Amino acid sequence: MKRHFLTTAAALLLALGAVGCQDTVNTVENRDPAMTPDSVDTRAFSTDSFCRDRLALISMRRSTTPGGVMMVQAQIRSERYGFWSELWSGMTGTNPYHVLYRFDWLDGSGMAVSTAANAWQPLIFAPGEVKFIQGVAPNARCRDFVLSVREDPSAR
Amino acid sequence: MRHSTLLMTAALSAALLCGCSTPARRIDPTTQGLTTVRDVNTRDWNDVAARAVNSLIASGALVRPDGRKAIVMINQVKNRTGSRARTQILTNKLRQAMLASGKALTTTAVGGRGPEDNATRQVRELENDDLFNQATVQKRGTVISPDLSLSGEIINQSTRAGRTTENTFYFHVVLTDLATGLATWEDNFEITKQETVNIFGY
Repeated sequence: MKRHFLTTAAALLLALGAVGCQDTVNTVENRDPAMTPDSVDTRAFSTDSFCRDRLALISMRRSTTPGGVMMVQAQIRSERYGFWSELWSGMTGTNPYHVLYRFDWLDGSGMAVSTAANAWQPLIFAPGEVKFIQGVAPNARCRDFVLSVREDPSAR
Repeated sequence: MRHSTLLMTAALSAALLCGCSTPARRIDPTTQGLTTVRDVNTRDWNDVAARAVNSLIASGALVRPDGRKAIVMINQVKNRTGSRARTQILTNKLRQAMLASGKALTTTAVGGRGPEDNATRQVRELENDDLFNQATVQKRGTVISPDLSLSGEIINQSTRAGRTTENTFYFHVVLTDLATGLATWEDNFEITKQETVNIFGY
Protein backbone atom coordinates (compact mmCIF):
# COMPACT_ATOMS: atom_id res chain seq x y z
CA MET A 1 0.00 0.00 0.00
CA LYS A 2 2.80 2.35 1.01
CA ARG A 3 4.82 1.44 -2.08
CA HIS A 4 1.82 2.11 -4.30
CA PHE A 5 1.32 5.50 -2.69
CA LEU A 6 4.99 6.40 -3.13
CA THR A 7 4.94 5.38 -6.81
CA THR A 8 1.86 7.49 -7.47
CA ALA A 9 3.34 10.45 -5.63
CA ALA A 10 6.61 10.15 -7.56
CA ALA A 11 4.75 9.94 -10.90
CA LEU A 12 2.68 12.98 -9.97
CA LEU A 13 5.79 14.91 -8.96
CA LEU A 14 7.50 13.98 -12.22
CA ALA A 15 4.47 15.11 -14.21
CA LEU A 16 4.33 18.35 -12.25
CA GLY A 17 8.03 18.82 -12.83
CA ALA A 18 7.59 18.27 -16.56
CA VAL A 19 4.76 20.77 -16.70
CA GLY A 20 6.66 23.20 -14.50
CA CYS A 21 9.45 23.24 -17.08
CA GLN A 22 7.10 24.60 -19.76
CA ASP A 23 7.41 28.27 -20.58
CA THR A 24 3.96 29.61 -21.24
CA VAL A 25 3.27 33.10 -22.49
CA ASN A 26 1.09 35.52 -20.51
CA THR A 27 -0.41 38.59 -22.14
CA VAL A 28 -2.08 41.80 -21.08
CA GLU A 29 -3.75 44.45 -23.21
CA ASN A 30 -5.89 47.54 -22.76
CA ARG A 31 -9.51 46.74 -22.00
CA ASP A 32 -10.96 49.43 -24.29
CA PRO A 33 -8.96 49.38 -27.53
CA ALA A 34 -8.77 52.66 -29.44
CA MET A 35 -8.29 50.91 -32.79
CA THR A 36 -11.10 50.58 -35.31
CA PRO A 37 -10.13 47.48 -37.28
CA ASP A 38 -11.82 46.27 -40.42
CA SER A 39 -12.59 42.71 -39.38
CA VAL A 40 -12.96 39.91 -41.90
CA ASP A 41 -15.82 37.48 -41.52
CA THR A 42 -14.08 34.13 -41.87
CA ARG A 43 -15.17 30.65 -42.85
CA ALA A 44 -12.86 27.81 -41.92
CA PHE A 45 -12.44 24.35 -43.40
CA SER A 46 -10.40 22.17 -41.09
CA THR A 47 -9.10 18.68 -41.87
CA ASP A 48 -6.68 18.40 -38.95
CA SER A 49 -8.51 18.26 -35.63
CA PHE A 50 -5.22 18.43 -33.71
CA CYS A 51 -4.16 21.66 -35.41
CA ARG A 52 -7.69 23.06 -35.04
CA ASP A 53 -7.74 22.43 -31.30
CA ARG A 54 -4.22 23.65 -30.71
CA LEU A 55 -4.55 27.03 -32.40
CA ALA A 56 -7.31 29.60 -32.00
CA LEU A 57 -8.00 32.32 -34.54
CA ILE A 58 -8.69 35.37 -32.38
CA SER A 59 -9.15 37.93 -35.14
CA MET A 60 -8.73 38.43 -38.86
CA ARG A 61 -8.36 42.02 -40.01
CA ARG A 62 -7.95 43.78 -43.32
CA SER A 63 -6.38 47.07 -44.38
CA THR A 64 -4.90 48.72 -47.47
CA THR A 65 -1.20 49.53 -47.96
CA PRO A 66 0.07 52.93 -49.24
CA GLY A 67 0.38 51.26 -52.65
CA GLY A 68 -3.33 50.37 -52.64
CA VAL A 69 -3.02 46.61 -52.15
CA MET A 70 -4.92 44.56 -49.61
CA MET A 71 -3.15 43.43 -46.47
CA VAL A 72 -4.63 40.97 -43.99
CA GLN A 73 -3.58 40.04 -40.51
CA ALA A 74 -4.51 36.97 -38.52
CA GLN A 75 -4.16 36.97 -34.74
CA ILE A 76 -3.56 33.40 -33.61
CA ARG A 77 -3.10 32.00 -30.12
CA SER A 78 -1.59 28.67 -29.15
CA GLU A 79 -4.14 26.77 -27.05
CA ARG A 80 -1.57 24.26 -25.87
CA TYR A 81 -1.46 25.37 -22.28
CA GLY A 82 -2.86 23.84 -19.14
CA PHE A 83 -1.76 20.71 -17.30
CA TRP A 84 -2.65 17.94 -19.77
CA SER A 85 -1.73 19.87 -22.94
CA GLU A 86 1.64 20.82 -21.55
CA LEU A 87 2.27 17.34 -20.19
CA TRP A 88 1.46 15.76 -23.55
CA SER A 89 3.43 18.26 -25.64
CA GLY A 90 6.38 17.89 -23.28
CA MET A 91 6.28 14.08 -23.57
CA THR A 92 5.93 14.10 -27.36
CA GLY A 93 8.60 16.73 -27.89
CA THR A 94 6.20 19.11 -29.64
CA ASN A 95 6.82 22.10 -27.46
CA PRO A 96 7.21 24.68 -28.91
CA TYR A 97 4.57 24.01 -31.54
CA HIS A 98 5.83 24.26 -35.14
CA VAL A 99 3.33 25.13 -37.86
CA LEU A 100 3.47 26.33 -41.44
CA TYR A 101 1.20 28.93 -42.98
CA ARG A 102 0.56 30.27 -46.47
CA PHE A 103 -1.55 33.00 -48.01
CA ASP A 104 -3.07 32.41 -51.44
CA TRP A 105 -4.53 35.40 -53.26
CA LEU A 106 -7.50 35.53 -55.61
CA ASP A 107 -8.38 38.23 -58.11
CA GLY A 108 -11.85 39.63 -58.79
CA SER A 109 -12.70 36.60 -60.93
CA GLY A 110 -11.66 34.18 -58.21
CA MET A 111 -8.51 33.14 -60.06
CA ALA A 112 -5.41 32.43 -57.97
CA VAL A 113 -2.62 34.97 -58.43
CA SER A 114 0.91 33.58 -58.41
CA THR A 115 3.38 35.32 -56.12
CA ALA A 116 6.83 34.68 -54.74
CA ALA A 117 5.34 35.16 -51.26
CA ASN A 118 2.90 32.24 -51.30
CA ALA A 119 5.39 29.66 -50.05
CA TRP A 120 4.77 27.80 -46.79
CA GLN A 121 6.32 29.85 -44.01
CA PRO A 122 7.31 28.48 -40.62
CA LEU A 123 5.90 29.78 -37.36
CA ILE A 124 6.82 28.63 -33.85
CA PHE A 125 4.40 28.99 -30.92
CA ALA A 126 5.19 28.75 -27.23
CA PRO A 127 2.19 27.57 -25.16
CA GLY A 128 -0.33 30.40 -24.89
CA GLU A 129 1.62 32.65 -27.23
CA VAL A 130 -0.27 35.07 -29.47
CA LYS A 131 1.19 35.78 -32.90
CA PHE A 132 0.15 38.13 -35.69
CA ILE A 133 0.76 36.86 -39.19
CA GLN A 134 0.40 39.23 -42.09
CA GLY A 135 -0.09 38.64 -45.76
CA VAL A 136 0.17 41.28 -48.48
CA ALA A 137 -1.58 40.85 -51.81
CA PRO A 138 0.81 40.75 -54.75
CA ASN A 139 -1.10 43.51 -56.55
CA ALA A 140 -4.15 45.76 -56.36
CA ARG A 141 -6.27 43.37 -58.47
CA CYS A 142 -6.47 40.85 -55.61
CA ARG A 143 -9.81 40.87 -53.80
CA ASP A 144 -9.84 37.72 -51.65
CA PHE A 145 -7.47 35.37 -49.91
CA VAL A 146 -7.17 31.91 -48.39
CA LEU A 147 -4.99 31.35 -45.31
CA SER A 148 -3.78 27.76 -44.92
CA VAL A 149 -2.21 26.46 -41.70
CA ARG A 150 -0.70 23.03 -41.10
CA GLU A 151 1.58 21.32 -38.62
CA ASP A 152 5.22 21.27 -39.68
CA PRO A 153 6.06 17.59 -40.26
CA SER A 154 9.78 18.30 -40.42
CA ALA A 155 9.74 19.53 -36.81
CA ARG A 156 8.34 16.32 -35.30
CA MET B 1 28.58 -25.72 -43.34
CA ARG B 2 30.10 -22.75 -41.52
CA HIS B 3 31.29 -21.42 -44.89
CA SER B 4 27.79 -21.42 -46.35
CA THR B 5 26.39 -19.70 -43.24
CA LEU B 6 29.00 -16.94 -43.60
CA LEU B 7 28.18 -16.53 -47.29
CA MET B 8 24.46 -16.36 -46.50
CA THR B 9 25.03 -13.71 -43.81
CA ALA B 10 27.18 -11.64 -46.19
CA ALA B 11 24.55 -11.87 -48.93
CA LEU B 12 21.78 -10.86 -46.53
CA SER B 13 23.83 -7.91 -45.26
CA ALA B 14 24.52 -6.77 -48.82
CA ALA B 15 20.82 -7.05 -49.67
CA LEU B 16 19.91 -4.99 -46.59
CA LEU B 17 22.46 -2.31 -47.48
CA CYS B 18 21.08 -2.09 -51.04
CA GLY B 19 17.59 -1.81 -49.60
CA CYS B 20 18.59 1.38 -47.73
CA SER B 21 19.03 3.42 -50.92
CA THR B 22 16.23 5.73 -52.06
CA PRO B 23 15.58 6.32 -55.74
CA ALA B 24 15.51 9.91 -57.00
CA ARG B 25 12.09 11.50 -56.62
CA ARG B 26 10.52 14.93 -56.55
CA ILE B 27 9.80 16.32 -53.09
CA ASP B 28 8.00 19.23 -51.46
CA PRO B 29 10.96 21.35 -50.28
CA THR B 30 8.83 23.00 -47.60
CA THR B 31 8.26 19.83 -45.65
CA GLN B 32 10.70 17.30 -47.04
CA GLY B 33 13.69 19.48 -47.95
CA LEU B 34 16.94 19.11 -46.06
CA THR B 35 17.69 21.45 -43.16
CA THR B 36 21.35 21.95 -42.39
CA VAL B 37 22.85 24.31 -39.86
CA ARG B 38 25.72 25.61 -41.97
CA ASP B 39 23.82 26.48 -45.15
CA VAL B 40 20.85 28.50 -46.33
CA ASN B 41 18.46 25.79 -47.53
CA THR B 42 15.60 25.96 -50.02
CA ARG B 43 12.94 26.46 -47.35
CA ASP B 44 15.02 29.28 -45.83
CA TRP B 45 15.16 31.06 -49.19
CA ASN B 46 11.40 30.64 -49.61
CA ASP B 47 10.74 31.96 -46.12
CA VAL B 48 13.02 35.00 -46.44
CA ALA B 49 11.77 35.79 -49.95
CA ALA B 50 8.15 35.68 -48.79
CA ARG B 51 8.87 37.94 -45.83
CA ALA B 52 10.89 40.37 -47.98
CA VAL B 53 8.20 40.52 -50.68
CA ASN B 54 5.47 41.19 -48.09
CA SER B 55 7.55 43.91 -46.44
CA LEU B 56 8.47 45.59 -49.74
CA ILE B 57 4.92 45.61 -51.15
CA ALA B 58 3.41 46.72 -47.82
CA SER B 59 5.89 49.63 -47.54
CA GLY B 60 4.62 51.35 -50.68
CA ALA B 61 8.25 52.23 -51.56
CA LEU B 62 7.66 51.32 -55.21
CA VAL B 63 4.88 53.89 -55.62
CA ARG B 64 6.00 57.08 -57.38
CA PRO B 65 4.22 60.38 -56.80
CA ASP B 66 3.92 60.98 -60.58
CA GLY B 67 2.12 57.64 -61.06
CA ARG B 68 4.79 56.27 -63.43
CA LYS B 69 6.11 52.76 -62.86
CA ALA B 70 9.43 52.80 -61.03
CA ILE B 71 12.41 51.31 -62.89
CA VAL B 72 14.46 49.10 -60.59
CA MET B 73 18.04 47.98 -61.10
CA ILE B 74 19.01 44.69 -59.46
CA ASN B 75 22.30 45.28 -57.71
CA GLN B 76 24.29 42.73 -55.72
CA VAL B 77 23.20 40.93 -52.58
CA LYS B 78 26.63 40.17 -51.13
CA ASN B 79 27.18 36.83 -49.52
CA ARG B 80 29.41 37.38 -46.51
CA THR B 81 28.78 33.96 -45.01
CA GLY B 82 31.15 31.05 -45.20
CA SER B 83 28.62 29.02 -47.17
CA ARG B 84 28.04 29.09 -50.92
CA ALA B 85 24.65 30.81 -50.78
CA ARG B 86 23.21 31.71 -54.21
CA THR B 87 21.83 35.16 -53.52
CA GLN B 88 20.20 35.35 -56.95
CA ILE B 89 17.48 33.08 -55.56
CA LEU B 90 16.38 35.97 -53.33
CA THR B 91 16.79 38.75 -55.90
CA ASN B 92 14.95 36.75 -58.58
CA LYS B 93 11.95 36.28 -56.29
CA LEU B 94 11.98 39.96 -55.35
CA ARG B 95 12.11 41.12 -58.97
CA GLN B 96 9.26 38.74 -59.82
CA ALA B 97 7.20 40.26 -56.99
CA MET B 98 8.01 43.82 -58.09
CA LEU B 99 6.87 43.07 -61.64
CA ALA B 100 3.71 41.35 -60.38
CA SER B 101 2.90 44.37 -58.19
CA GLY B 102 2.28 46.49 -61.29
CA LYS B 103 4.15 49.35 -59.62
CA ALA B 104 7.64 48.69 -60.97
CA LEU B 105 9.64 47.33 -63.88
CA THR B 106 13.15 45.94 -63.61
CA THR B 107 15.92 46.79 -66.03
CA THR B 108 18.36 44.21 -67.35
CA ALA B 109 20.47 46.82 -69.14
CA VAL B 110 22.44 47.63 -65.97
CA GLY B 111 23.24 45.55 -62.93
CA GLY B 112 25.60 45.24 -60.02
CA ARG B 113 28.02 43.10 -62.01
CA GLY B 114 27.41 44.77 -65.36
CA PRO B 115 24.31 44.33 -67.50
CA GLU B 116 22.30 41.17 -66.88
CA ASP B 117 21.43 41.11 -70.56
CA ASN B 118 24.12 42.58 -72.80
CA ALA B 119 21.79 42.55 -75.81
CA THR B 120 20.59 46.11 -75.16
CA ARG B 121 24.11 47.37 -75.91
CA GLN B 122 24.92 44.74 -78.54
CA VAL B 123 21.98 45.59 -80.81
CA ARG B 124 23.06 49.25 -80.92
CA GLU B 125 26.43 48.21 -82.26
CA LEU B 126 24.63 47.10 -85.43
CA GLU B 127 24.27 50.73 -86.50
CA ASN B 128 27.42 50.47 -88.64
CA ASP B 129 26.63 47.04 -90.05
CA ASP B 130 25.34 47.29 -93.61
CA LEU B 131 23.91 43.77 -93.27
CA PHE B 132 21.00 45.22 -91.28
CA ASN B 133 18.20 47.53 -92.33
CA GLN B 134 19.23 50.62 -90.36
CA ALA B 135 15.59 51.66 -89.90
CA THR B 136 15.09 48.55 -87.73
CA VAL B 137 18.21 49.01 -85.59
CA GLN B 138 17.48 50.26 -82.09
CA LYS B 139 18.42 53.91 -81.66
CA ARG B 140 20.74 55.30 -79.01
CA GLY B 141 19.24 57.42 -76.25
CA THR B 142 16.11 55.29 -75.84
CA VAL B 143 17.13 53.02 -72.93
CA ILE B 144 15.48 54.05 -69.67
CA SER B 145 17.74 54.66 -66.70
CA PRO B 146 16.74 53.14 -63.32
CA ASP B 147 15.10 55.11 -60.51
CA LEU B 148 15.79 52.57 -57.77
CA SER B 149 18.44 50.00 -56.93
CA LEU B 150 17.89 46.80 -54.97
CA SER B 151 20.90 45.55 -53.00
CA GLY B 152 21.75 43.79 -49.76
CA GLU B 153 23.97 41.40 -47.94
CA ILE B 154 23.84 38.18 -45.98
CA ILE B 155 26.00 37.67 -42.93
CA ASN B 156 26.02 34.93 -40.34
CA GLN B 157 27.10 34.33 -36.79
CA SER B 158 27.93 30.87 -35.57
CA THR B 159 28.13 29.81 -31.93
CA ARG B 160 29.08 26.49 -30.42
CA ALA B 161 28.54 25.23 -26.90
CA GLY B 162 29.52 21.63 -26.20
CA ARG B 163 27.87 19.41 -28.81
CA THR B 164 25.39 22.11 -29.87
CA THR B 165 26.02 24.40 -32.84
CA GLU B 166 23.86 27.42 -33.58
CA ASN B 167 24.01 29.47 -36.76
CA THR B 168 22.07 32.66 -37.44
CA PHE B 169 21.82 34.11 -40.93
CA TYR B 170 21.02 37.83 -41.17
CA PHE B 171 19.54 39.00 -44.46
CA HIS B 172 19.58 42.76 -45.07
CA VAL B 173 17.85 44.11 -48.17
CA VAL B 174 17.79 47.78 -49.24
CA LEU B 175 15.99 49.74 -51.95
CA THR B 176 17.89 52.94 -52.78
CA ASP B 177 16.46 55.98 -54.53
CA LEU B 178 19.15 56.67 -57.14
CA ALA B 179 18.18 60.36 -57.41
CA THR B 180 19.00 61.05 -53.78
CA GLY B 181 21.05 58.06 -52.66
CA LEU B 182 18.63 57.55 -49.79
CA ALA B 183 17.21 54.18 -48.79
CA THR B 184 13.45 54.22 -49.38
CA TRP B 185 12.95 50.75 -47.92
CA GLU B 186 15.11 48.36 -45.97
CA ASP B 187 14.45 45.39 -43.80
CA ASN B 188 16.25 42.63 -41.92
CA PHE B 189 15.29 38.99 -41.73
CA GLU B 190 16.86 36.42 -39.46
CA ILE B 191 16.94 32.65 -39.59
CA THR B 192 18.45 30.73 -36.69
CA LYS B 193 19.18 27.01 -36.81
CA GLN B 194 20.51 24.78 -34.08
CA GLU B 195 21.89 21.27 -34.10
CA THR B 196 23.10 18.94 -31.35
CA VAL B 197 25.28 16.03 -32.40
CA ASN B 198 25.72 12.81 -30.45
CA ILE B 199 28.90 11.88 -28.62
CA PHE B 200 30.32 10.30 -31.78
CA GLY B 201 30.03 13.66 -33.58
CA TYR B 202 27.22 12.99 -36.07
